[in-house]
Amino acid sequence: MKTLVTTEYSEVEAVRDVSFDISAGEAVGYLGPNGAGKSTMIKMMTGILVPSAGELSILGRTPHQHRMANARDIGVVFGQRSQLWWDLPVRDSFDLHRRIYDIPAARYEGNLAQFSELLDLTPFLDRAVRQLSLGQRMRAEIVMALLHDPKILFLDEPTIGLDVVAKDAVRKFLARINRERGVTIILTTHDLQDIESICPRLIMVDQARLIFDGALKDLRASMGTRRRLTLEFASDPGPLDLQTARLSSDEGLLKHYQIEREDVSLVDVLAEIGRDRALKDIVLEEPNIEEVIRTFYQGRNTAAVTA
Amino acid sequence: MSAYFAFAKSAVMTQLAYRNEVWANMFGKVVQVFARVAIWLAIYTGATSIEGITLQQMITYALLGGIVTGAIRYETIISMIGRALQTGDVAVWLLKPVSFPLYIIVSELGRAAYRLVVLVIPTVAVVALVYGMLPPASIFHGVMFLAYLALAYAIIALISTLFGLVSFWLLTSFSLEWLMQALLNLLSGQFIPFWFFPKTFGDIAAHLPFAWIVYYPAAVWLGRMDVAGTLIYFGIGCGWALLMAFGVAWLWRSASTRVIVQGG
Repeated sequence: MKTLVTTEYSEVEAVRDVSFDISAGEAVGYLGPNGAGKSTMIKMMTGILVPSAGELSILGRTPHQHRMANARDIGVVFGQRSQLWWDLPVRDSFDLHRRIYDIPAARYEGNLAQFSELLDLTPFLDRAVRQLSLGQRMRAEIVMALLHDPKILFLDEPTIGLDVVAKDAVRKFLARINRERGVTIILTTHDLQDIESICPRLIMVDQARLIFDGALKDLRASMGTRRRLTLEFASDPGPLDLQTARLSSDEGLLKHYQIEREDVSLVDVLAEIGRDRALKDIVLEEPNIEEVIRTFYQGRNTAAVTA
Repeated sequence: MSAYFAFAKSAVMTQLAYRNEVWANMFGKVVQVFARVAIWLAIYTGATSIEGITLQQMITYALLGGIVTGAIRYETIISMIGRALQTGDVAVWLLKPVSFPLYIIVSELGRAAYRLVVLVIPTVAVVALVYGMLPPASIFHGVMFLAYLALAYAIIALISTLFGLVSFWLLTSFSLEWLMQALLNLLSGQFIPFWFFPKTFGDIAAHLPFAWIVYYPAAVWLGRMDVAGTLIYFGIGCGWALLMAFGVAWLWRSASTRVIVQGG
């Protein structure tokens, strides 16, 4: 009954001690597991949420204080929230966008033509948004966010739920826009592949804190991430210890290893096993992002304990 | 400015896409208006005038009463704002260099203009053919009726937007729709003109903004107000509209700086 008259709030810090600078023309991946505070950061940078403490400057402005001015200079795409008009054809949504941002007709036509061609929108430009597939809709969302020539493009999980082909198209497009038009790109994702193909720089957060800021290759190197190797044999060679990889579990015919050193290649492992062990199949897996972060975080904790 | 005009236009286009609805709505509307007129026919049985109002005037009042409330859907405004808050779509609007409340208002006004033409005016015409309807009391009253009508649309849109924005704090819009319905029925004069209210209560109701939605436009048409009164009350109504516009701007400003974006 008490909750009828009073409301109790519990505060959750979504972003804490996170500091970074991004220069014009950069492409930055903002990475972290669910609930790490990625979306909160995007929402603060775009002026939707007001930070309770700290300093935030986008293009020299505090976003939430100059929301309208900020809005004209940025483009935002949410993977899970559509900005297109559900009942209208894609073209009409774009036209409303043109009026909202007062885009001069010539520039609008030019952008629309170029982006539509790059992302292959022409076949469904006259179809209502509700009839589009997720991949088509996402491509339309990205094009719309770029029509007014924003200086910064924010993308919150732009490839979520897309199939491989659509993901690839979106990634190539974004990398090209960044390279050719100099649009600064800031994107959040779960998918390491997004970052590899679009963003030279990576910012990683976990549990509201910044845990890494640098190039992707440095992340792998600095964390000592383990690649997983699975060997399948035609006949069980017995426990097989290797110099290049550490045996983590043994199922007889199937043996699982972890490769802990970055400089070890598959060729090194194969050379060590040799030709006479009846090796049937091999699978080498790159660690997925959850694993990368877990490894990194565990590493940090143990480092803190031993220090 | 062209953005807001485009919003209104696209709202009309969306209505056209669902035009089968029009016939169902038209039928419902006709029944509703007949019912309202029937009540007054029953009340006036054996009487030529009550409190100085003739049956013909009363029927005219009942027909005019539906012109604003029949065309605009206050509940659409409230629930659109409520839904935008609940689903977090309001975030999308915070990203655009346009005003979300103004977008909601012009979209609904676009739909209201559409309904006025295809739904309300035909319905009123049909019922007027059956029971008769008085013309405006004079050319002045006829012209002022149109001005009051425009003001009525502005006021109902603004009140609904205020109600919708309050759901920022309540996180529910459904109860607000009910409250709005109750206030509108009673205080706009839609069901019973203020002439039949107890004196004090009628006087209070006549100065609340709801009165400009139904009562004043109809009273002007019927010539119940003299020239000076017509102009003075138009001014007061504009004052209310202005006050509420400030209210909307202020509520939106404070609401958007403390947005709780639901769903991550």
